[in-house]
Amino acid sequence: MSKFIFGRYLPLSSVVHRLDPRNKLLLSFCYIILVFLANSWVSYLILIAMTLGAIWASKIRLGFFLRGIRPLIWLIIFTVILQLLFSPTGGHVYWHWAFINITQFGVINAGYIFIRFLLIIMMSTLLTLSTQPLDIATGLASLMKPLRWVKVPVDTLAMMLSIALRFVPTLMDEAQKIMNAQRARGVDFGEGGLIKQAKSLIPLMVPLFMSAFNRAEDLSTAMEARGYQDSEHRSQYRILTWQRRDTVTWLIFGVGLILILISRRW
Amino acid sequence: MKTMARTQLPKLDTLSMVTMGLLMAMQLVLSRFTIGNQFLRLSFTFLVVALIAKWFGPWWGMMTAALVDVVGTLLTGNPYFVGFTISAILGSLIYALFLYHHEVTWTRLIIAQLLIALVVNTLLNTWWLNIMYQTPFWGLLPMRALKQVIVSPIQVVLLYLLLKSHVIQTIQHRLKTK
Repeated sequence: MSKFIFGRYLPLSSVVHRLDPRNKLLLSFCYIILVFLANSWVSYLILIAMTLGAIWASKIRLGFFLRGIRPLIWLIIFTVILQLLFSPTGGHVYWHWAFINITQFGVINAGYIFIRFLLIIMMSTLLTLSTQPLDIATGLASLMKPLRWVKVPVDTLAMMLSIALRFVPTLMDEAQKIMNAQRARGVDFGEGGLIKQAKSLIPLMVPLFMSAFNRAEDLSTAMEARGYQDSEHRSQYRILTWQRRDTVTWLIFGVGLILILISRRW
Repeated sequence: MKTMARTQLPKLDTLSMVTMGLLMAMQLVLSRFTIGNQFLRLSFTFLVVALIAKWFGPWWGMMTAALVDVVGTLLTGNPYFVGFTISAILGSLIYALFLYHHEVTWTRLIIAQLLIALVVNTLLNTWWLNIMYQTPFWGLLPMRALKQVIVSPIQVVLLYLLLKSHVIQTIQHRLKTK
């Protein structure tokens, strides 16, 4: 609960922080493809260099990135161990017992998967740590623009998204207040078995829905009073600009892509 | 045809749009609340997904589900993967097909929940993890299936209680009469 949804942004002044949010979103999507392409130790080395370079440029301490790994730690351990124990036979066999083989192939593969996990998590953590939520939303809305051609109501969705982001902290406070009020009346949150815990959430959910809807009614009336009619025929106040440093990141990305494509043989 | 009217993108008034925005915010907030112990966690975002699907239909449901999935993942710093967005869209679609313009009944909820638990949460999501991290599909499947077996009945009951609750009925009435 204390881990607040917007609390993860780190306000620092670095090159990475100043990049266009649209660019950062695109880069992080494409980075995952890059990770899928890597298949040899040289290509992983290039990826590690790129990732550490990006982290260094962001001036954020490495500890923050390690914290991002924690929620996925069980999945990582589980995967690595299964890869280690049950990989197909290949290369030198280190240890053999019944159907369990620890082979050279298995060890290398487990290592690759471990690195792959770390790299993907680190890059996505970098995006959130260096970009404000509202910037992410603006960037996303602008990247969705082409979807207009397939009749997606992009402007309405962008409006909904900005309303949603604006109200996350408000609803969070509200939820906290309702919880405390219900606690004062004797509701135990997070106690007992699964069903009892689920039941105790009803005195939280129902008032939360009601207050959210009351807010929605008030807000929509206020919006209409200020001349809101539809999402399409409007101008924009927040404008994003693509700068030279954004182009440079793609040059670096391109070089990395070419190097990885070449190094896939080794 | 009756189904045609159902598959069109309904035009939104300001109140519906703002309500959906607030429900999206609610989804982002609820994704932070989980109950359970260290082996089994259950979050309540499915309640909001079902509500949006019931009130606004498949198209708005799928679009907001996709958007919340993308934004929610990016904001929490988890790795983004398209597969999970597809799962979110499918989940919302299934809820909408069973709940939009239909009376809420136990049968409808149970079938919708079974479909989502089996197809989306168990098969698809395990497959996405397999693609993304090369987690062993058959190794992970039993554990994830077991989780769904335990969680699904609770989800069905909670959904029924919420959708039939007086407060939700009141809100629905106010949305429709505005």
